[in-house]
Amino acid sequence: MLIPGLKPGPNGTTFISTGIPDLDKILGGGFALGSLVMVMEDAEAPHHLLLLRNFMSQGVIHNQPLLYTCPSRDPRAFLGTLPCPIVSKEDKSASIDQEKEKGLKIAWQYKKYFVENQHGSENNRGMFVLRIFTYTRKEYCNEFDLRKPLERHLLSAQHIGSISMQDSPNLSSLQERCSTFLDQIPRNEGSVGNAGRIAIQSFCAPQCGYSDKEWDMLFFISSLKSMVRDSHSVVMITFPPSLLSQSLSTRWQHMADTLLSVRAIPDEDKDLGKLLTGYQDMIGLLHVHKVAQINTQVPVIFEASTFSIKLQRRRSLVLERLNQAPVDGSSGTSYNTGSSCSSSSKTSAFDF
Amino acid sequence: MAEWVCRALRDGSLEGEHAPALTIKDSISSAFGFDAFTHVLCSMVSNIIAGKSQARGVVLAVFDKSPSFYVDLLKRRTISVVSLDKWIRILDCYSDPLGWKDGSTESVNPIVTIYKDVRDLDKLFSSIVGLGKGMVDQGKVRFSVAIDSASVILRHASLSSVAGLVTNLRSHDHVSCLFWLIHSDLQEARATAVLEYTSSMVASLEPMVLSTEKSIFSLEQNSRKGKFHVRTKRRNGRVKIMCEEYHVEQGDINFKESSGNENLNQNLLPKLQFNLQLSEKELADRKNVVLPFEHQGDGQTIEIYDGRRSLPTVQHDLMTSEKLCTETEHGKGEIHYLRDSDDERPDSDEDPDDDLDI
Repeated sequence: MLIPGLKPGPNGTTFISTGIPDLDKILGGGFALGSLVMVMEDAEAPHHLLLLRNFMSQGVIHNQPLLYTCPSRDPRAFLGTLPCPIVSKEDKSASIDQEKEKGLKIAWQYKKYFVENQHGSENNRGMFVLRIFTYTRKEYCNEFDLRKPLERHLLSAQHIGSISMQDSPNLSSLQERCSTFLDQIPRNEGSVGNAGRIAIQSFCAPQCGYSDKEWDMLFFISSLKSMVRDSHSVVMITFPPSLLSQSLSTRWQHMADTLLSVRAIPDEDKDLGKLLTGYQDMIGLLHVHKVAQINTQVPVIFEASTFSIKLQRRRSLVLERLNQAPVDGSSGTSYNTGSSCSSSSKTSAFDF
Repeated sequence: MAEWVCRALRDGSLEGEHAPALTIKDSISSAFGFDAFTHVLCSMVSNIIAGKSQARGVVLAVFDKSPSFYVDLLKRRTISVVSLDKWIRILDCYSDPLGWKDGSTESVNPIVTIYKDVRDLDKLFSSIVGLGKGMVDQGKVRFSVAIDSASVILRHASLSSVAGLVTNLRSHDHVSCLFWLIHSDLQEARATAVLEYTSSMVASLEPMVLSTEKSIFSLEQNSRKGKFHVRTKRRNGRVKIMCEEYHVEQGDINFKESSGNENLNQNLLPKLQFNLQLSEKELADRKNVVLPFEHQGDGQTIEIYDGRRSLPTVQHDLMTSEKLCTETEHGKGEIHYLRDSDDERPDSDEDPDDDLDI
């Protein structure tokens, strides 16, 4: 029996949720434990932060240990922006005082909470048990409300750590911290303990002292990848490829087990509005380049690999396949049927 | 566009957000970045004097031109006669950036402070912030920062420390907005990319005509005007792209609406396999087409050619199976045309499905 927050996947892997229900579906279940997820940022848009926030929030909700690092001086400030899960309507009428219920019909769903008295009698005198819902949800993946921040007390837990990379001249402190974190969550053959998450934001951000040391960064990522394989965790690293040399960027992309990229879209573009349906609600594009193949030789084939990022009712993140007019087959990549304009005609540096 | 940029800088930053930062980028083929920079600077100062901007003062760090040049420029351009003491402080990194000259560090003009250590960016940061705070009243009041030329700083300091300086300035509580000039061909592409990454608006000056060969004609064309492209990162995550033309005369730069049709996002749109839109001529032609039906929808019935009368001019193009072939010679035969509609009998009670044998 698995702890909530973990789900068994194919080929003996275990999945944890990305925090975005649509992305879980697209990736075939979530992020596989032991994998390295890399997200390529767009220098002009902050969409990678949306992915990071949902990823981290999901870990907090499931009481999974979390380590967060970012290139600014105050990483706790970002933790304060983690979204709160949306509580569905059924749970709201849950915690009701037993005293008040005597002889009273409570809410329209009150019959759900009867454990005894199956005959539907009107006897309300204190014999039924109400299920009180708390925050440790049994669900695998929550939908998050991006407008509401997570409760503070959840963030001050012991197992949530953060470090700032802005003033570090080299990566040794980060490496040490990551390795102690991952050592605490070993991968055992028998039992399945709790899973851990590491979130590294804007890894090669220019204000960090190590950002021009290419080989140091490459070495760090490869050692992190090998450490995470032996651990019951997932590491998510975001980086802006436009700030790296072409060869370094390609090396990093190859190292990733799961590779995603986010793209900005121009504002008030009439041509794009005609080409894509639902353009007004879109804030960006997400492209899935590859998905982790652990314990298997069989690749994952997508029906569509580019999705539009929309904010539904301004609060929850929704990923949708793009609907667009037929494209001239000779210019685009013919393998991605139904995929978007951006993957076929934009910089081909990402395609491989 | 330029006005839009100046307004965005004037409005400044919101609580808890980084200050808006503008990179003005030019190159040798359209070398008027400095004019654009002074345009933005003068507009900032006018807004500050008029009290319309969030910032109550501006700190100008000069690397490329002497402080007296700026003082004269501002006195000339801003209409107000109020002395500049209250609104501007200049950090002079031009006269003696590396501290080679001995002598006093006092300058003649009270608003100018000499700075002698360009290589130490932490000290530069604290000097800028110190000057700014000294100029505005204490409390929540903000000031804006202008850096004459980031290209010069990059000569002396590493890219990561310059990026750190800019990021620290942007995240400082008292900084309202920040803008700087960079010459994109003076450093590596990566340095330009890094500065664009750390800024929220990028204004680049580009030549009117992109010329690969340095013909005299294109040089002449580009010598006084060019295109002003602005890319802004908006809060909702989208990128706003604007373009206009600029014109330089008598040392002043003027911006006007772009006259040519620009397709700014050509690389985002794929080629469509078929064109769903009709051109004007095609629309007109479509109206003139006569459809092969008896009733054209305009109240007149079509006369069907029966071989006897001369062809009416309207009907010469379309034939269908309902109309029989016409014979232009008379006397050779007659054409009896039976309409299919005449052939119809009124609906009988028979159900045609009764014939099916299933």
